[in-house]
Amino acid sequence: MSTSILRINMTDLTYRVEEVPEAYKHLGGRGMTSSIVADEVPPLCHPLGPNNKLVFSPGMLTGTAAPTSARVSAGAKSPLTGGIKESNAGTSWACDLAVMQVKAIVVEGQPKAKGKFWGVNLAWDAAAGKPKVKFFDATEYAGKSLYEVFPKVYERFGNKVTIAGCGVAGEYGYCNAGIAFNDEFRRPSRYSGRGGLGSVMGSKGLKFIVINDDGAPGVQITDKALFNQGCKKMTDALRTHNITKPKGTLNTYGTAALINVLNEAGGLPTRNFSSGRFEGAGSIAGEAVFDGVKQRTGKETYNHACSPGCIIQCSNTWYKPDGTEHTSCLEYESIWAFGADCGIDNLDDVAEMIRLCNAYGLDTMETGTAIAVVMEAGVIKFGDGKGAINLVHEMGKGTPMGRILGGGTALTGKAFGVIHVPTVKGQSMPAYEPRAVKGIGITYATTTMGADHTAGYTIAPEILGVMGKQDPLSPEGKAGLSRAFQATTAFIDSSGHCLFIAFAILDIASGYEGMVEETNGVLGTNWSAADILALGGSILKKERAFNEAAGIGKAADRVPEFMKLEPLPPHNQVFDVPDSALDSVFAEL
Amino acid sequence: MSDITVDTWLYGELARYGGQADKGSYANLQVRLQAGRTVNDLLAYLNMPTEARGITFINGQLSAMPGLQPDLGHALRDGDRVAFFHLQAMWPFQYRLGAAAIPEMADAMQASQDHGLHHTYKA
Repeated sequence: MSTSILRINMTDLTYRVEEVPEAYKHLGGRGMTSSIVADEVPPLCHPLGPNNKLVFSPGMLTGTAAPTSARVSAGAKSPLTGGIKESNAGTSWACDLAVMQVKAIVVEGQPKAKGKFWGVNLAWDAAAGKPKVKFFDATEYAGKSLYEVFPKVYERFGNKVTIAGCGVAGEYGYCNAGIAFNDEFRRPSRYSGRGGLGSVMGSKGLKFIVINDDGAPGVQITDKALFNQGCKKMTDALRTHNITKPKGTLNTYGTAALINVLNEAGGLPTRNFSSGRFEGAGSIAGEAVFDGVKQRTGKETYNHACSPGCIIQCSNTWYKPDGTEHTSCLEYESIWAFGADCGIDNLDDVAEMIRLCNAYGLDTMETGTAIAVVMEAGVIKFGDGKGAINLVHEMGKGTPMGRILGGGTALTGKAFGVIHVPTVKGQSMPAYEPRAVKGIGITYATTTMGADHTAGYTIAPEILGVMGKQDPLSPEGKAGLSRAFQATTAFIDSSGHCLFIAFAILDIASGYEGMVEETNGVLGTNWSAADILALGGSILKKERAFNEAAGIGKAADRVPEFMKLEPLPPHNQVFDVPDSALDSVFAEL
Repeated sequence: MSDITVDTWLYGELARYGGQADKGSYANLQVRLQAGRTVNDLLAYLNMPTEARGITFINGQLSAMPGLQPDLGHALRDGDRVAFFHLQAMWPFQYRLGAAAIPEMADAMQASQDHGLHHTYKA
């Protein structure tokens, strides 16, 4: 057997290694998880019930020497949105899975006993030439901080292993629970954060999947010369583009480089989406993180890789005033959610909430936006950093208040009678105000994932075929671009590449060629740029069909009403993209 | 002719052009200029070469990107907020599509290849 699908049955603690069906043989990452979920999960099942399935899939290039390609997708029916969900992370766990030639892990069923948790130890069976699984009792690791239990798991299985797991948020069944993966320093800091997938894992009594890839055969590459050629083009593009090169934007300031820019643009959602500008932005921005680290450690520090083989290296670490480590990683959306959206301008408070999210297994974005909603409700005041930290602790402790917040932003808004609830399909918007930046609003409204800033990255104008036909600033033009961006993004999410390659391959055409050649080199395909757009579109269609069968149709492709009624300072704009343009995104796919 | 005051923000390494207002990662200073002065005049006051700046905003409206600076002759008004970013700042197209721009920038984008779809531009 070469590539395989590993099925783990949590009802009876058994597993099966299956050959990859013909229809799936060229899939990976999001394309694989969404296909299996669409084909096997009843759309109307309860997300935390026995009929939901949690799927992990490394990207098509993951585990190879392709630069910045160590992503793994997690997919299921989402407890947060009720629709299909894919959320990917960069981690060495992804590579370890890929080199075992496991194209997907499908976690099925549900144990009858409550209160017990299990771990899966996945290793390579050299004699049989296939992966093997041992289950272990993981109940002793439940109810604790992931910072406490990750070292214990390493102690038990050795420092070489890699870990995927859920925190207490996943044990509680919160809609904002993520799946944590190890980073390069064995911290539980890399997340498939969005959509509550940590709770799908917890609902199956599965606490950890621990991988030891000793003896694994590696990823098969069909045409090595073509693959190497593609890798070189991609590497050259990433190393020369201003955003992705060494000591470039991301390596220096991280994703939080966007804080000051969005603030000046009037598009940084502030105090529960009541303004597009935060007076404290300069104190929490990427530039402030870089400067603060320099002040506290006495040296300039450039960012590190979240996973093996990443040459962009955008992950940062924040330090306490005494120069010791506080936490990693201060991403743009995390800083924004606990910072501007909560009116908090203290980076130490923001960092503490990010650390707590890593500890409890929470999605930083959904957590921050839920806290902003209760701030509007008057539970604590905007700007109250210590009060906000306490609320994250309440989530970790599972208090009634914590459970409401853990239910997500939309649930919190209902519990407290707040009208300003910045969600689409139940998922909170990230850090780009759609009233100021309307193109992203179209993607928020229409993506199958619920409001998601990663659903529509800009690549490959030569294949989009829309720029010359319509005014890109007309509603129809923006909708056409969103459709094309969503399709090409679905492909990148399937490739295993980090989405940040998009910055370089948009501006450097040979980088895009490199991605196509890498993929064809591994799979033995002969895909063209147009084929990639079509493949991405086919993934979107599967996801859309699942959502419609789950009762999430075009009526759900809307931004919240208050954004159509209430002008956002400083530009005083409402979201005025007509419904017909929103509907055209999928109608014309 | 009366003076105007421009609320000027300098980000990242550009903070050093802010003199005493330099806070390390940014600077905010109130610059007094004669009425009718332009972005070019403001740069001259700051002693900052235009090549040192990238993304630029005037009152939240995009006025320049790296390699595309149609705003040099833009006349400033009293109370304008002008923000200059260092060359490592980014504002990717997918987060920018449909955002406000000064007329000179909107025209330049419209006239550019792919209507400004890129992240950076060649000078």
